[in-house]
Amino acid sequence: MTDNGRIFKQIDWDRVHRRLEVSKAAIEQGVSSNPEEKIKILKKRALLLSRESSSIVEKDEQISMVEFVLAHENYVIESKYISEVYPLKEFTPIPCTPDFVLGVINLRGSILSILDFKKFFDLPDKGIADLNKIIVINSEFNKFGILSDSIIGVRFIRTDEINPPLPTLTGKRKAYLKGVLEDSTIVLDAAKIISDPKIIVHEEVGN
Amino acid sequence: MNNVDLIRKLQAAFKTEAKERLRELSSDLIKLEKNPGGDGCDEVIESMFRQVHSLKGASRSAGLREIEKIIKALENVFSALKRKQIKIMPEMMDVLHHATDTLADFADTLGNNQPSDHKNQVCEIVEQINALSSGESPGKTKFVKKKPEPVKEAIAIIKEEESHKKEIPPPKEFAEDTLTKSDRSKDKTQTVRVSLKKLDLLMLQAEEMLQVKLLANQHKNELEHIIEMLELLQKEWGRVADTTRILTQIIKKKGESGNRERSALNSVSKLMALVASNQDQSRIFESRLISLVRSAHRDKRVISELVERLLKDMKDVLMLPFSTFLEIIPKIVRDLSRDQGKNVKVSMEGGEIEIDRKILEEMKDPLIHVLRNCVDHGIEKQALRKKNQKPPMGTIKVMVSQVNGDRIEISISDDGAGIDLEKVKEAAIEKNVVSRQEASGLSDKEVFDLIFQSEVTTSSIVTDISGRGLGMAIVREKIERLGGKVSIESRLGQGTIIRALLPITLATFRGVLVEAGNQQFVVPTASVNQVVRINPDDVKTVENRKTIPLNGHRIPLVRLDDVLEIPPKEQTFASKIPALVLGTREKRIAFSLDNVLDEEEILFKSLGNQLSRVRNIYGATVLGNRKVVSILNVTDLIKSAMHVRPMVARGAVGKKAAQISVLVAEDSITSRMLLKTILESAGYRVKTVIDGLEALTELKQTKYNLLVSDVDMPRMNGFVLTEKIRKDKTLGDLPVILVTALHSREDRERGIDVGANAYIVKSSFDQSNLLEVVQKYI
Repeated sequence: MTDNGRIFKQIDWDRVHRRLEVSKAAIEQGVSSNPEEKIKILKKRALLLSRESSSIVEKDEQISMVEFVLAHENYVIESKYISEVYPLKEFTPIPCTPDFVLGVINLRGSILSILDFKKFFDLPDKGIADLNKIIVINSEFNKFGILSDSIIGVRFIRTDEINPPLPTLTGKRKAYLKGVLEDSTIVLDAAKIISDPKIIVHEEVGN
Repeated sequence: MNNVDLIRKLQAAFKTEAKERLRELSSDLIKLEKNPGGDGCDEVIESMFRQVHSLKGASRSAGLREIEKIIKALENVFSALKRKQIKIMPEMMDVLHHATDTLADFADTLGNNQPSDHKNQVCEIVEQINALSSGESPGKTKFVKKKPEPVKEAIAIIKEEESHKKEIPPPKEFAEDTLTKSDRSKDKTQTVRVSLKKLDLLMLQAEEMLQVKLLANQHKNELEHIIEMLELLQKEWGRVADTTRILTQIIKKKGESGNRERSALNSVSKLMALVASNQDQSRIFESRLISLVRSAHRDKRVISELVERLLKDMKDVLMLPFSTFLEIIPKIVRDLSRDQGKNVKVSMEGGEIEIDRKILEEMKDPLIHVLRNCVDHGIEKQALRKKNQKPPMGTIKVMVSQVNGDRIEISISDDGAGIDLEKVKEAAIEKNVVSRQEASGLSDKEVFDLIFQSEVTTSSIVTDISGRGLGMAIVREKIERLGGKVSIESRLGQGTIIRALLPITLATFRGVLVEAGNQQFVVPTASVNQVVRINPDDVKTVENRKTIPLNGHRIPLVRLDDVLEIPPKEQTFASKIPALVLGTREKRIAFSLDNVLDEEEILFKSLGNQLSRVRNIYGATVLGNRKVVSILNVTDLIKSAMHVRPMVARGAVGKKAAQISVLVAEDSITSRMLLKTILESAGYRVKTVIDGLEALTELKQTKYNLLVSDVDMPRMNGFVLTEKIRKDKTLGDLPVILVTALHSREDRERGIDVGANAYIVKSSFDQSNLLEVVQKYI
C-alpha cells in the first residue's frame, strides 16, 4: 500500500482544480461568444487556408523525382517514367550480354531486364544486399529496371534548382545527366536514357 | 487529369482507331480498284465513306487539325462518289492510296512529332484530293487526262476472296461505331470491349498458375521420396529388433540367476520396448504419409486439370482470325509489284481460321518476307512470262488451313520462275556452307533446306527488298521458335511453294534442365539430339578440336560454359562427363556440361524489348520454384561453337600439347587427381608420383618438359626437390611450378630462392590459372 500512497501524494490536486476552473470558463465563454467574434475567427482561418493553397500551386511547378543511391552517390530520376519500385530478391544472369545488364527477374509473370548503371558510370560494385531495389522504368518503347543500392524517397525539385553538369564529364555520364543539385545529387535524364538505342541489346552470333 | 494528359490519351486512342480504319479503307480501295462500277461497288463506297466520316470526328476530338483537313477532303470525294457526282478513275486510286498511306504515316508518328511538321505535305495532298472531288468535268484535272495505266490490273483479288470476306465478319467488329451497328445486328453474341493490356495481364497470371501445377508435382515427388526413406528406416529398425531379440535369448540361456544377468535382461527388454514403440510410431507415420501422398496425387491431378483448362480458355480469348493479317496482303503485294513493274494477283483462303494473337503477330514479318520473295524473285517480268507462254499476270496464293485440332498450315505459293537448285548449291559452296563434294551428294530436299541457311541467296542482285540471304534463315528461326516447321518446294519454271506448319496456340514445350558454370539453362527437348555421358578417355583431339565418338562418327565436343562465355564451375571428379548432342546430321556438336538435372514443362517468355536479341539465348522461363532460367537458342549455340576456342586451344595448342609431358609430384591423392585432370584436359601427357624422391628418380629416367610439384611431401619436399633439380647438370633447365597450400611471403620467397619458375597457391588456383602458368614455361 505504501506504493499507492506515494502515487496519491504526487498528484497536485490544487493544480487539477485550477485547470478545471480554466476549462469551465473557456467552455462558457466559447458558447456565449458573439457572432462578430465568430466571423473574425472564421475569416482568419479562411485567410490561412487561402495562403496554403498558394503554396500548393507552387508545388505544381516542381518535378517529382525519386532519389536513390548508386555506390557512394545520390541520384534522382523523374517519377513520371517510373511505374514502380520492386525489391530485388534474386535475379538470373543472362550470358552473352554486356556487363551493364545485371540479369532478369520475374515481375509478376513477365521477364524484366535489370540494368546496372554503376557499370555506365564507372562506380565501384557494392555487391547485392537486402536494400537493393529495382526502379522499374516504363515507356511506350521500352521497359526495364534500374538497379539501385537503396531508395531514399521522393523529392520535389524545381527546374531552376538543377545546375548544368560539369563540363569535364564524358561518355555515358555526360549523355545521361541532366544536371546536378546543390547538395551534389545527380539528376538523370530519363527521357534520354529510355530513347538511347545503345541500351538495347541486339546481337547476332558471329558479328 | 489535366489537358495535356487528356490530349495524349485521346491521340493514343486515335492512333489505334486510325490504324484499323485505314487498313479497312485501303482494302476497300483495292476492292474498288479491281472492280470499278461493278456489283457491290456502291456498298464499298458507302463503307469507305463511313470509315472516313468516323475518322474525321475522331481526329477532331483528338485535336489533330492537319489530319482532319485531309480526312475532310477525302470525305468530300467519297460523298461525291456516293452521289455519283464523279466517276471512279484509275488515277484517282493512286491519289487515294497515297492519301491513306500518308494518313497512316501521320498516325504512326503521332506522339513523336507534331503533326504541324507535315504542313506542306498536308496542303499538297488536300489539293490533290480536292481536285478529285471537283473532277466531274473531264479534262479539268490532270488525272483524267492520263491514259488508264495497267494500274487497274496491277492487282486483283479473285472472287473466292470476295465471297469469303463477306462471310467473315471483320475481326474488330466492336471497333465500329453506331453507323455500322445495324449491319452487325445479325451477330447475336454479346461482346465486351476489353483492352489488350488487361487481357495480357490476365494471360500472364494464368501462365503463372502453371508454376502451381509444377509445384504440386514436385511436392508429390518429394513425399514419395520421404516414404522411400521411411521404408529404409523401418527395415533398419526391423534389423535392430531382430538383434535385440537374439540378445535376449542369449542372456536368457546364460541363466537368470546372477544379478548382472538380471539387470542386463532388464535393459534389453527396455530397449526392445523402445524399438517396438519406434516401429509402431513409424508405421503411423507411414500410414499418414501414404494418405498424404494420395491426396497430393489428387491435388496434382485437380490442379493440372484446372490450370490447363484456365490456360486453354485464356488462350481462346486471345485468338484472332487470320483475316486480320490477310487483309493487309493485297496492299503489300500491290505496292511491291507496282514498284517492280510486275503484274500480280493474290488469292487468299482461310481467313476465318483463328490463331493465337501472339503467334499471328510474330508471324507477320516472316510472312511478309516470304511474300516479298515471291514478288521479287518468284514472279517474272511480264515480257519473260510471255516468252515462256505463261499468263501475263502472276498469281500468289495464300492459303490457311486447319491441319488438325492444334495445328494449322499456311502455304504461300507463286507461279513464278521457281528455284534453281544448281544456283542454290553454287551459292552455298561459295559461302562455305557446304563443300563441293558434299553438295554433289545432297538430295533435292536437302538442297532446299540450304535456302534456310543464313548466307545462302540465289539472287544475283541485292535489292532493297530481298536477296541478302538472311531472310529465309530468320523466317525459319521465327517459325521454329513458335514451335512450327517450315518447308519449301519448287519446280524450275513453274513456281515455288512455302509451307509453314504452326501451332494454334503458344503451347508449353518440354525442355531439358541443365547446369553449366553454376547456372541453370533450359534446352528445348525437341532440339536435343541425344544426351550422352562421355568417358574422358574417349575424348580425342582432332585438328585442334576435341572430339568424341558417336554412333561410329567423331563429332566435335565443346564446353557449354565456354560457348556461353561464363566462368566454369570448379573441376569435379565425375568419371563421366554429361553432354547434350545438338544439331542435325552433319552439324552435330556435343556440348559438355556439369549436370543434366531434369526434364520439365516449359513456357516460353520473351526477355523484353531491352534485350531484343541476345546471342545464344532465346528467352526465359519460370520454373516451379519461381526461378527464372534462360532458354538456350540451339541454332546460335551451333554457330557459336564454331567460333569458340575450346579449353584445348586455350591451354596449349592441340597436337603440340599432346606431345608435351608433365610430371606431377603430389602426396595427396585428391590434389594429384585434380592436377592430372586439369593438365590432361588441356591435352598434356601427365605422369604422377607421390613425393620428391620418386619425382627425382622419375625425372632422371624419363625426359619431361615440366614439373608441377607440391611443397609439403614426405621423404623429400618441393623446395629440396627444386634445389636438387637446379643443381643437376641434365635437369637444370627444367621448368618447375610449385603448387602449395602454404601462403606466406617467406614460402614464396624461398620457392623463388631455390629456383622454382612459378609458385601457385592452391587457394588461388583455378584451372585456367594453372594452365596459363604451365603454358608460359613450355
